Amino acid sequence: MTSNDNQKNNLRQIFWIWLAITAFGVVVGIYATPRLMPRAASNTMHLSVLTMVVFTVAAAPIAALVYSVVIVALTKWRYRGEGVPPDGPPIRGNSPATSIWLVVSTLLTVFLLVWGLALLAVDNGAQSKSQMTVNVTGQQWIWSFGYAGTQVHSLDLFLPVDTDVKFAVTSKDVVHGFWIVQMGIKVNANPGVITTTAVTPNRVGTFDIRCTEICGLNHAFMVTRVHVLTKKNFDHWLATQPATN
Amino acid sequence: MNSTLEQRHAVGGGFLRRLNFGTAAVSGLIFGFAAWALSHHFLDDSGQGFADQVTVLTGCGWVVGFLLGIGALTGPGKWFTGRDQSHADEMYLAGKDLGRKRFFQYTTDHKVVGVQYIIATMVLLGAGGILAMGIRTNLLTPGNHFVNQQVYNGFLGVHGMLMILGLIIAVAGPWANFILPIQVGARDMAFPRLNALSLWTLIAAIPLLLGSLAIGAMDMGWVTQGPISDQSGIGFDLFAMSIITFTISTTVAGVNTICTVLTMRTKGMTMERLPIFAWASIFAAGLGLYAFPFFLVVMSLNLADRMVGTSFFIASGGGTGWLQENLFWLMGHPEVYVILLPAVGAILEIASVFSRKPLFSYRTVVGGMAGLCGLSALVWAHHMFTTGWAPTLGGPFMLTTELISIPTGVIFLVLLGTIWRGNIWMKMPMIWVFGFIVNFIVGGITGIYLSDIPVDNQMHGTMFVVAHFHYVFVGSVLFGAIAALFYWFPKVSGRFIDEKMGRISFWLVFIGTHVTFISMFVSGLRGMSRRYSSYAMIFEHTNFITTIGAYMIMSGMLVLLGAVITSWRSGEPSGPNPWGGKSLEWMVPTPVPLENFEVLPVITSDPYTYGEAKS
Repeated sequence: MTSNDNQKNNLRQIFWIWLAITAFGVVVGIYATPRLMPRAASNTMHLSVLTMVVFTVAAAPIAALVYSVVIVALTKWRYRGEGVPPDGPPIRGNSPATSIWLVVSTLLTVFLLVWGLALLAVDNGAQSKSQMTVNVTGQQWIWSFGYAGTQVHSLDLFLPVDTDVKFAVTSKDVVHGFWIVQMGIKVNANPGVITTTAVTPNRVGTFDIRCTEICGLNHAFMVTRVHVLTKKNFDHWLATQPATN
Repeated sequence: MNSTLEQRHAVGGGFLRRLNFGTAAVSGLIFGFAAWALSHHFLDDSGQGFADQVTVLTGCGWVVGFLLGIGALTGPGKWFTGRDQSHADEMYLAGKDLGRKRFFQYTTDHKVVGVQYIIATMVLLGAGGILAMGIRTNLLTPGNHFVNQQVYNGFLGVHGMLMILGLIIAVAGPWANFILPIQVGARDMAFPRLNALSLWTLIAAIPLLLGSLAIGAMDMGWVTQGPISDQSGIGFDLFAMSIITFTISTTVAGVNTICTVLTMRTKGMTMERLPIFAWASIFAAGLGLYAFPFFLVVMSLNLADRMVGTSFFIASGGGTGWLQENLFWLMGHPEVYVILLPAVGAILEIASVFSRKPLFSYRTVVGGMAGLCGLSALVWAHHMFTTGWAPTLGGPFMLTTELISIPTGVIFLVLLGTIWRGNIWMKMPMIWVFGFIVNFIVGGITGIYLSDIPVDNQMHGTMFVVAHFHYVFVGSVLFGAIAALFYWFPKVSGRFIDEKMGRISFWLVFIGTHVTFISMFVSGLRGMSRRYSSYAMIFEHTNFITTIGAYMIMSGMLVLLGAVITSWRSGEPSGPNPWGGKSLEWMVPTPVPLENFEVLPVITSDPYTYGEAKS
């Protein structure tokens, strides 16, 4: 066999292995990723999960290319004799291959960037409109919530469904991380500063808030719940709460 | 009397003959204790809490005493009093005819310093590994209390910092010292005494870091964030002292590496004929010179907040934690590439030698590494997407972060191009190289998810991030460091590392890495925050699996440690060039003689002439 035939054979093998691994990656991306993540309770979270799926699918052919070359190297190109192997072909470079590689990786990067900026624009749009504001205060090691325009405070967060909510987040002591797990929003609670984030819950239910910045001894226990109620139930809840400060 | 004096002069060394690691440790302890006693006496009487000041002064006493006791200041002292080192003194300093003693002394021979760095790396990674096992044991079941929360938080911070320091020196320490000068055709580093200084400053920093855990009460994690580091106990003072000492050591070492490559090359060794490891080393060292001053500054400002009443990072005094986070990550992201680049350099050397092929597209990979260095200085705020700082900068930092995947892709291109249709020789170094390729793809791609801000809003601060950077640090850098160890060990000891034990350790570490960190990805995807000391029941199974995987990694590393120790004493002899390499380190005898070359070689091509006609 001439080395040209060999090369063609190698390319054919690499192609089939690449196709198989890519298919596997695409299936895992589409099937497994959304099931491993919590079920979305907001459009923001839905877009995060979607991004994970899309990026996994986009990354699958790249990883598959590397893995298929590795597999062929380990099986076909492996030297099985004794001692130092004879020298291989002196390939010092390959301008077309390098150019294609650079162009493809640049195009993929541009795609990632455009995707990211588009989603960021959606997020920023959500930030700018708000129908209600919740003041979130972190302290070692509890969260407390004040509902703007009322005297109501609570340790569990209550939200009406399908309402644009803005969070004004701060801390009384050290930095905490305010994260509503199923809604895909997170912002740090910094002492002396108010940071903001926003979300529109789209599902009635009870969800988790966890702290994501180490804040001392009970960081792991700085958890609480979000209760997303129908608008009617929320108004009722708000009306029946005692005023506190 | 006269003759003995003359004899003493002829052997050289003078006062240094009496100094070694033992006297350094004793002197460090004495100075540390004296500093403690004095500061305690003068500061404690006023009735205010001066614990921080006393701790920092004690740490300073230890460092100064240790460096005096090892003899680091003897040379400058002599110079200051107008005397210079004699030739015999220099020979003594280089460890001539000292046998094993030279490994425990202030020795300037770059090969001795290289071996000392191997030991220092093992100590740092070993101690960090023990703490990792402590962390994972605590997380074996949801409500496990292997250690209490206070100790657990200390474990987190010190584990992180030990591993970071260990990995910064894991490739650059041993091999940029032992191998690099030979590779470029030099008789030693550009500044041999500074070389010894950087090593012993590093050694002085290690007990401070371990001591910080002992006096404890640290809640700040390895990132030493804003106010929480101010709340932490006196352990933090030693922690910060250790890092300040380490940055001095690394700066000295970095300058030395760069000067060696730029000025000490032998005749004909143009920059285009440099082995790629030399390029990687100077890029990493140069990037370190940019990054580590931020480390020094952030720790110094933090100590100032604790000791002298400033409020750089304290909100109630007008400071801001965001300043701390910015300074930290200005160091923290370039540091990732300071760690990664030497490992990549070693991997590329090994890939070429064990495929029997020239390095694919030399100039492209040099350009790629330059691109990594440049971009890595412009991405730091992607660690701060969710902090609330400068939301308008989200887009630009997302851009720079995603751009970095292009030079990273170049490294893959060159790796694959180098093994393409080669005669792949699956000896131990190459096995670890394949492990590196498989793992680094996972670490790289998961990094791309995190660069996307909407995904980061979900994933930041979770176990997903932890798994991502462990795929980079363990799966990639550690694999590269171990590949380099297997590759260059025969040059150090004249013996191979035992292949059978090497294979066992590879499979344990390789499978263990995937078991540990894939399950950790799942914990993160399902919503587990990082730095948790205990967790909700829904994370039970994945955490159990992660802990089992971590034990596998530990077993593999212990097998590797056993292999290194036994092979060093009684391994199979290797001869001077067991791998058929063409770079200069394989052209000198083993053990490498003092000053490396009898006659400095003249270079006519790069070391990648596999399959090419000899000119």
